[in-house]
Amino acid sequence: MYYLDANRLIPFQKCDLHRLEEGPPVTTVLTREDGLRYYRMMQTVRRMELKADQLYKQKIIRGFCHLCDGQEACCVGLEAGINPTDHLITAYRAHGFTFTRGLSVREILAELTGRRGGCAKGKGGSMHMYAKNFYGGNGIVGAQVPLGAGIALACKYNGKDEVCLTLYGDGAANQGQIFEAYNMAALWKLPCIFICENNRYGMGTSVERAAASTDYYKRGDFIPGLRVDGMDVLCVREATKFAAAHCRAGKGPILMELQTYRYHGHSMSDPGVSYRTREEIQEVRSKSDPIMLLKDRMVNNDLASVEELKEIDVEVRKEIEDAAQFATADPEPPLEELGYHIYSSDPPFEVRGANQWIKFKSIS
Amino acid sequence: SAAIPQPASSFLGIKGTRGPAPTCASHSFEQQFSSVAQRGPKCNQAALRAAPRAEWTRREAGLGGTCLLELQRHSLRTGGRDPGGRRRVELWTPGARQAPGGVAIRWGGGAWEGLDDGAIRLCRGHPGKRPGRWRPPGGLAVARWCYAASWASAAGEVRVWLMGLLGGLSAVQLVGDGFTTRSGYGILMPSLSPTMEEGNIVKWLKKEGEAVSAGDALCEIETDKAVVTLDANDDGILAKIVVEEGSKNIRLGSLIGLLVEEGEDWKHVEIPKDVGPPPPVSKPSVPPPLPGPQVSTPVKKGHAPGKLQFRLSPAARNILEKHALDASQGTATGPRGIFTKEDALKLVQLKQMGKITESRPTPVAPPTPAQPSPPQAAATPAYPRPLIPPVSTPGQPNVAGTFTEIPASNIRRVIAKRLTESKSTVPHAYATTDCDVGAVLKVRQSLVRDDIKVSVNDFIIKAAAVTLQQMPVVNVSWDGEGPKQLPFIDISVAVATDKGLITPIIKNAAAKGIQEIADSVKVLSKKARDGKLLPEEYQGGSFSISNLGMFGIDEFTAVINPPQACILAVGRFRPVLKLTQDEEGNARLQQYQLITVTMSSDSRVVNDELATRFLESFKANLENPIRLA
Repeated sequence: MYYLDANRLIPFQKCDLHRLEEGPPVTTVLTREDGLRYYRMMQTVRRMELKADQLYKQKIIRGFCHLCDGQEACCVGLEAGINPTDHLITAYRAHGFTFTRGLSVREILAELTGRRGGCAKGKGGSMHMYAKNFYGGNGIVGAQVPLGAGIALACKYNGKDEVCLTLYGDGAANQGQIFEAYNMAALWKLPCIFICENNRYGMGTSVERAAASTDYYKRGDFIPGLRVDGMDVLCVREATKFAAAHCRAGKGPILMELQTYRYHGHSMSDPGVSYRTREEIQEVRSKSDPIMLLKDRMVNNDLASVEELKEIDVEVRKEIEDAAQFATADPEPPLEELGYHIYSSDPPFEVRGANQWIKFKSIS
Repeated sequence: SAAIPQPASSFLGIKGTRGPAPTCASHSFEQQFSSVAQRGPKCNQAALRAAPRAEWTRREAGLGGTCLLELQRHSLRTGGRDPGGRRRVELWTPGARQAPGGVAIRWGGGAWEGLDDGAIRLCRGHPGKRPGRWRPPGGLAVARWCYAASWASAAGEVRVWLMGLLGGLSAVQLVGDGFTTRSGYGILMPSLSPTMEEGNIVKWLKKEGEAVSAGDALCEIETDKAVVTLDANDDGILAKIVVEEGSKNIRLGSLIGLLVEEGEDWKHVEIPKDVGPPPPVSKPSVPPPLPGPQVSTPVKKGHAPGKLQFRLSPAARNILEKHALDASQGTATGPRGIFTKEDALKLVQLKQMGKITESRPTPVAPPTPAQPSPPQAAATPAYPRPLIPPVSTPGQPNVAGTFTEIPASNIRRVIAKRLTESKSTVPHAYATTDCDVGAVLKVRQSLVRDDIKVSVNDFIIKAAAVTLQQMPVVNVSWDGEGPKQLPFIDISVAVATDKGLITPIIKNAAAKGIQEIADSVKVLSKKARDGKLLPEEYQGGSFSISNLGMFGIDEFTAVINPPQACILAVGRFRPVLKLTQDEEGNARLQQYQLITVTMSSDSRVVNDELATRFLESFKANLENPIRLA
């Protein structure tokens, strides 16, 4: 039996620093409760993504579907390091973040299948999921970074001691507007944490072929940065806490590079093995799988038993199956609602359709 | 205590071989189990070993369906007594995994449902019941329901405690010391490209019994575009390959293999029979459809296993929608039962003839269980298609701004092809002359008085034939390299029919008399209009004549019918006044009946000079009908 308040001091990898004298601590206390929670969340994200893969292959989910299995430690670790009142904005690989920011798996899967029970009423799809203090779900590569800087400006303006996490990928890191956002954030000392999720491949291009400097944490130049092992949830959590403290102290923006990996291809139409070998994927799976790492840590430190974790697995599986069942069986939104919910609080009006003779009713 | 009654046939739906009735035959329940019960589950292995073994078979129905544990042979352990004093029996299955969605245990024709809160009910039948009814001694009706005290699964174990409502007459009689489970996760045929409906399995990269870890390649599937590898998502052992490599055209969603968890017996996995895409629970809470035309949604091909009432082609759907018709009022004649555009048009015609009334198609019936595609789950009110710009419907009178498609018949297509070929490859040369048909008309009138009906055209045919006889140089055809002399004089006469222009042939026209020619022309024309011409009656010929005089055409040029060399285009005869000198030398206006003939000739074989000479002779022959004899 394990004591609920059991905790252990766990060491993990040191982070590389850029323009910082000291970085996050190399050890942290992991309580059993926290550990189980992280495990459960990561397992939920993993199974949810695999279920989305399955449903996509059965043509129940159509359209775009970018999966983040392998990157669970990033979403769970980031969430563990911030408060629910802090803000988060990311790109299209957003299902994990949607879950950690508070939406249920049911809503997410139903949105993917395009049904009424979805978080955007089935009208949005994979790249259109929003939650409280979670700004999606953005399709254009790198477009969310200036938006994130803007959210940080709002945080500073409102004076509520909130930070904004702005995520982008290694492919987007070479986009121009990101550097513009760096400049403004640093100039006005905005509480913005820029986070680059480096999964080594921008669609199909490896970072060596895409970037002149693959040290993404140094790309902020005048913005201090740290490089974090993105497969270790504790490392991510501590780094996030450190970065949030940095921002909340008014020292301005900070950059974090999370070195992580995705097992699936870029999206469901990408098999994922044409630009990298299966052996590489298997190697990462066997050596640095985030769920496996946490599990080993907890078991080795006597924080939980293997059976207990297996039980969590089983429960999570059941939950996901239920959610998938719901998502498949829910009816689609009715066609009259095609024009609804364009504005949030306007009186009803008529909106033009594909040509000037088609009119839809729009109710907020 | 009374002897435990034994059912005549196997107990608890035992299938397969079973040894002789175990020691429980002559012992009471208490006698049999007391020692075990007292000492607890893990004891008395010897006694338990003698009992028949049970095996669970687990079948899973598709994604997230309920898992069925079928009790093939049984093995139970007693779990002592619960606090209420009721006997408990453990069905212990090491290595089993709680299936998501609950577990149903079926035995002897009954089914047990695993509920979330742990209670298990026997829904139908009851333990021990195999074909005949089993009545306990004393005529007590055994409860149909057996209530399970609790249900737990942890670390791969599934424990079910069963109890009878009336005493301990339930499954308690089974003894065993454990189960082996066979279970399997179905691998369904995935859609590996957006347009894929079915695929072929090229090769299995894992063998039965081989361990599979997450991310490993399982098999190669050939989609409509390329050969793609299917990866496994979970760890396990490939238990069974349901569809062998080399199989073609496997539908999306059908079972291709079975995966079991590590540590399970993969050798005896049972293939689930009712596997397929998961049955969606049809929610009845569809909002009432608008009173607009509802159309049966067209289904993409091949969403097996379910089959829909109607498969409409998109054009058919559009037409039906426009006219507010229902597809069930017509018959589907397309391949594989598709309701095609032609069927829709027929329906529209019937409607216009008043034979069928407009009807709103009834909402689609609730789906059969195995329907994966969402569109069929509810009858969605169809949004009326915008009609601007107006949609054209073939066969309908043109609405302003539309066009009508007239499908080309075969004849027209052939004509089109041949004419194009002729006009583009054959160098046409044209020569025109006016002929005076006054004499012909006089002869014709005299023949008419004798009740012989001939027309001017027949004279023209005869004249042409005679001229050809006189000038065999013109009776040639181009055989690819040079003029080929034709031994026969066959005149093709152009006849206009509904289907197109066709040229029946008058064979050996030079030898035939006018009357004979007239009769042949009449017969052949009639046959042509009826479409009953034999091939030899219109294929061949050495010279063509086309007469548009009866339509009022003065003059026109015709296109040569290859491989012929010439064609004569005859206009109408028209009265023309000419100044002539009469016997006394006075100028006088005289009326002539002139006919304009234009000969198109193939300059490769009949050059201008030949054509001129031909026309000269032709004119002379026509103007003096005596020569035609």
